[in-house]
Amino acid sequence: MAGNGTSVAPDSGQRQRGVRRTALLLGSIAAIFYVGFIAMMIWRATR
Amino acid sequence: MAYNDHAATAHDHDAHDHKPHGWRRWVYATNHKDIGTMYLVFAGISFFIGGSMAMLIRLELFKPGMQFLDPMFFNTMTTMHALEMIFGAVMPAWTGLANWMIPMQVGAPDMALPRLNNFSFWILPFAFILLLSTLFVPGGGPAGGWTMYPPLMLQGGASFPMTIFAIHMMGISSILGAINVVVTIMNLRAPGMTLLRMPLFVWTWLITAYLLIAVMPVLAGAVTMLLTDHFFGTSFFTAAGGGDPVMFQHIFWFFGHPEVYILILPAFGVVSEIIPTFSRKPLFGYEAMVYATASIAFLSFIVWAHHMFTVGMPLAGQLFFMLSTMLIAIPTGVKVFNWTATMYRGSLSFEPPMLFALSFLFLFTIGGLSGLMLAIVPADYQYQDTYFVVAHFHYVLVPGAVFAIMGAIYYWLPKWTGNMYDMTLAKWHFWLSTIFVNVLFFPQHFLGLAGMPRRIPDYAVQFTDWNMVSSIGGFAFGLSQFLFPYIIWKCVHGGVRVGNRAWEGAHGLEWELPSPPPFHSWTEPPSDALIQRGAAH
Repeated sequence: MAGNGTSVAPDSGQRQRGVRRTALLLGSIAAIFYVGFIAMMIWRATR
Repeated sequence: MAYNDHAATAHDHDAHDHKPHGWRRWVYATNHKDIGTMYLVFAGISFFIGGSMAMLIRLELFKPGMQFLDPMFFNTMTTMHALEMIFGAVMPAWTGLANWMIPMQVGAPDMALPRLNNFSFWILPFAFILLLSTLFVPGGGPAGGWTMYPPLMLQGGASFPMTIFAIHMMGISSILGAINVVVTIMNLRAPGMTLLRMPLFVWTWLITAYLLIAVMPVLAGAVTMLLTDHFFGTSFFTAAGGGDPVMFQHIFWFFGHPEVYILILPAFGVVSEIIPTFSRKPLFGYEAMVYATASIAFLSFIVWAHHMFTVGMPLAGQLFFMLSTMLIAIPTGVKVFNWTATMYRGSLSFEPPMLFALSFLFLFTIGGLSGLMLAIVPADYQYQDTYFVVAHFHYVLVPGAVFAIMGAIYYWLPKWTGNMYDMTLAKWHFWLSTIFVNVLFFPQHFLGLAGMPRRIPDYAVQFTDWNMVSSIGGFAFGLSQFLFPYIIWKCVHGGVRVGNRAWEGAHGLEWELPSPPPFHSWTEPPSDALIQRGAAH
């Protein structure tokens, strides 16, 4: 059951993979925003 | 009106719950209910700390002239009060409610990432200890306002880097909490719990979580730039070095306006749960509510500069931000209409959660309408930086967000504890809060319109009368809040036992579980029939 609104019963392995995938995706987006924004500013300042 | 209509279901696993005991249960907590409780307790403590700062502010403003506080300390109090209430009270309270309710409402056994959940919570006490400890460093705490505008903020003493670091920690905690919410909702919904069957509280939290992930890094970036300007010789916001202080305001409000919706969207979800229950009718326009929430979230990204009309911007910019701000009234109006339509011809009863939801409906709407007034550029030139703005955002955040949190706690407390609370005391709490929140904040509209500036410890004598009224309202509101922890404490320790469905009109998966729910709930996913019965919209 990924984030597509469907509702099939997942086995626990499938569910764990889904959790890991979504967590990594969102974590990466947040980390890129977080670190990227700061890094970009510091880079701009040192130009 | 509590009654036991359901015998314990097959989900009563109390017999083989293996709860950790003692301090380990809390320090190493991974259970969503325990972590939810810790967030709520933390939010309660912050609410009283932030509230005591508000009392000091109102004490100083009771009369013109300098009474008790040094002006610098007064500014520190306004700054710390805001940071405590926003990041320490309201946001953790919503996260606590999300932790408690989302897994139970979507039929999941726990949050998807329980250890991350523990980490997200335990960052917070350290962040706030750090923030509060600035009160004891040379130069005192941060005094530049919660908006931290440079160059004022850059003039802070030893408190400055501590505040920035505390804000980073709060931001990281919020982002991690938000990731957990999205992952749980997207992956751990029970089979049959489609997106459009989810309770509105879950929907509003899902959208809030996306907002958090999008804007907290922006705040982190902004405060880091302040830090490098102060310590590493950069000139992002220093005009002398070619920087632009107004740029900070743009970046800050690009975070700050969505932040307002982070504080209020879950309140919309809670009210959308409470009103149908006590109207004994399904929510009117469920899908419209979902789309309205998403629209508000989208619009929140394109209205930020309405906080900066008086700073100066091109006419086209003023028009864009004025009109986009006014557009928010449309989805918000949809919500207010739908709540009202839900009550229309309903079989209404007025238990404490419903009273708080109704108070929210009326008083949040007042805050929304004064927000519309502030959106009008020429009018904003008059209102900017006056007590009218203070009245506006306190109407949105106190009878708005805070009352919704109180309503949510009164709604779900019987589920959490298995006991009904003292209804009479809770109604006293409601009436005292509702009366005195208006005595406290309504006169501030008059003060603002008459020209009283905000963030000052002294004022001209013509503002005396309404300031006295406001302060009396503040003290009475503050005192009446002591009823709340007492009512909760009493309920936790006993009371009339309630059944699974503590309120007869309640729908949703959480009401299918025993009260209190077992330590591990929904270890077996709920059946489709249960989900359909819960999704009565």
